[in-house]
Amino acid sequence: MTATLALRDDTWWRQAGIGLLLPIALLIVWQLVGTAFGTVRTPLPTNIVKAAGVMIASGDLPEALLQSLGRVFGGFLLAATIAIPLGLLMGYSRAVERNLDPVVETFRPIAAIAILPLAILWLGTGTSAAVAIVAYAAFFPLIVNTVAGAKNVNPTLLRAAATMGLDRMATIRTVVIPAALPSIGVGLRIGMGVGWTAIVAAELAVGAKAGGGGSGGIGQMMFVFYAYSIELNRIIVCMVAVGLVALVLDRILRAMMRKLMPWALP
Amino acid sequence: MATLPIATTAPAPRRTWGALVYLRTMLVFAAVWAFVAWWTDNPILLPSPLAVLEAAIALARDLELFEHAGISLGRMVVSIAIACALAIPLGLAMGLNRRFDRIVDPTFELLRPISGIAWIPLALFIFGIGNALPVFIMTYAAFFPILVGTVAGVRTVDRRLIDVARTMGVPQRTIVTRVVIPAALPTLLVALRLGVALSWTAVVAAELIGAPSGLGYAVEWYRELLATPQVMSFIAMIGVIGYTCDTAVRWLNRRLAPWAEARR
Repeated sequence: MTATLALRDDTWWRQAGIGLLLPIALLIVWQLVGTAFGTVRTPLPTNIVKAAGVMIASGDLPEALLQSLGRVFGGFLLAATIAIPLGLLMGYSRAVERNLDPVVETFRPIAAIAILPLAILWLGTGTSAAVAIVAYAAFFPLIVNTVAGAKNVNPTLLRAAATMGLDRMATIRTVVIPAALPSIGVGLRIGMGVGWTAIVAAELAVGAKAGGGGSGGIGQMMFVFYAYSIELNRIIVCMVAVGLVALVLDRILRAMMRKLMPWALP
Repeated sequence: MATLPIATTAPAPRRTWGALVYLRTMLVFAAVWAFVAWWTDNPILLPSPLAVLEAAIALARDLELFEHAGISLGRMVVSIAIACALAIPLGLAMGLNRRFDRIVDPTFELLRPISGIAWIPLALFIFGIGNALPVFIMTYAAFFPILVGTVAGVRTVDRRLIDVARTMGVPQRTIVTRVVIPAALPTLLVALRLGVALSWTAVVAAELIGAPSGLGYAVEWYRELLATPQVMSFIAMIGVIGYTCDTAVRWLNRRLAPWAEARR
């Protein structure tokens, strides 16, 4: 937000400098107050950096992140393969939409994490339950945005396609899908964000409820640091890692959208 | 920051007809469910729709369903109130004063990607199991969309309106209350809707892990007892309240900013 609206006569390093002032000041205050009044367990910025170094060097943190990321991609792909074709069909055909929309709208308000107990019951405490939660979480933003995109097709284009004698499949392929792509892209981005949040929640809850079973992942790692070896520094390292991954995922998707469909972004 | 994506549902052609189609679809859904339940023949894995309905009625009669729902809903209302009280003034200040925005914004941008749920282990350690944990997590979850929405809303205010007011000698305070806030309201309310949805998602996670009461706790409690019909009843209640809150915010939106519907 700041970058686009900043005054023109400022160089980027000056802008960044002003912006970084407050975070750095807060970190210094945290460090000073923590050393002065804290106990042994109080997390301090310097110790957090040290903990991060140890966790990265030992390979634990990258491994847990990769495991969680794998689950997110799995669930995300599952959701996309169902939601995008279905959404295109619903957006294209009024009859299909009318009949399927009630099911979507009934389940949409149910938070993905609420389904977790059922997922554990049906799929156990391993990877498949986590993948199912991600798929459920990502499904709704994907389908809603795909339907909205497919509905937004310029009717003139549809009529032109009909005039030129295109059949249904060809119309969907050449007219509906390109018109819906920007909206699908938005759905992909939201779905990815929601899926990443859901995986952390799912792994945390599985860790909490399955007695720290060995299903792994970043969420589980955090829970172990909370419940078994009380290491607040490491919990904070995990939190920062979760945030960084969320940011990077969003940036990658945004860059991909800009490449693939430059007309989609404002 | 991106704009807030909100999917609007298509207006039903006619209310009664829409309700009938809804009922028809859901009846088909229930029939398929009943068939699969009969096929698997395992009431713990998949109880029949009738068993779930029975359990839901029993839980409603005990008031247990409403008790937990009330607790969760109460926590959410408190959290949203706190989040609004913090985020709206801050957002107004950030939207109106560019220098303040440049100093403060990066700090929030650094925190924003860390989801509320990722705070749960640390918050568990700080607050312990109780009311404070879910309220903290939900406030955190709702804070960012409301802040972003307020800033975006203030930015959309027509500069000329502010200039006109200033020319006419209106004091700064009145400009904020009479010009900026009404103009920013539609964007703010959309953000509020997103905030409510996010905090409702977070409450379930927070209660599932670290609260002695509430809907998330109840779902987990009955799962441990392998009482699947009760689990499903509570899950349905989570959906019902989520939907009701969303409808309520949308209604508020129409009441407070009727001109926004057309603009969106």
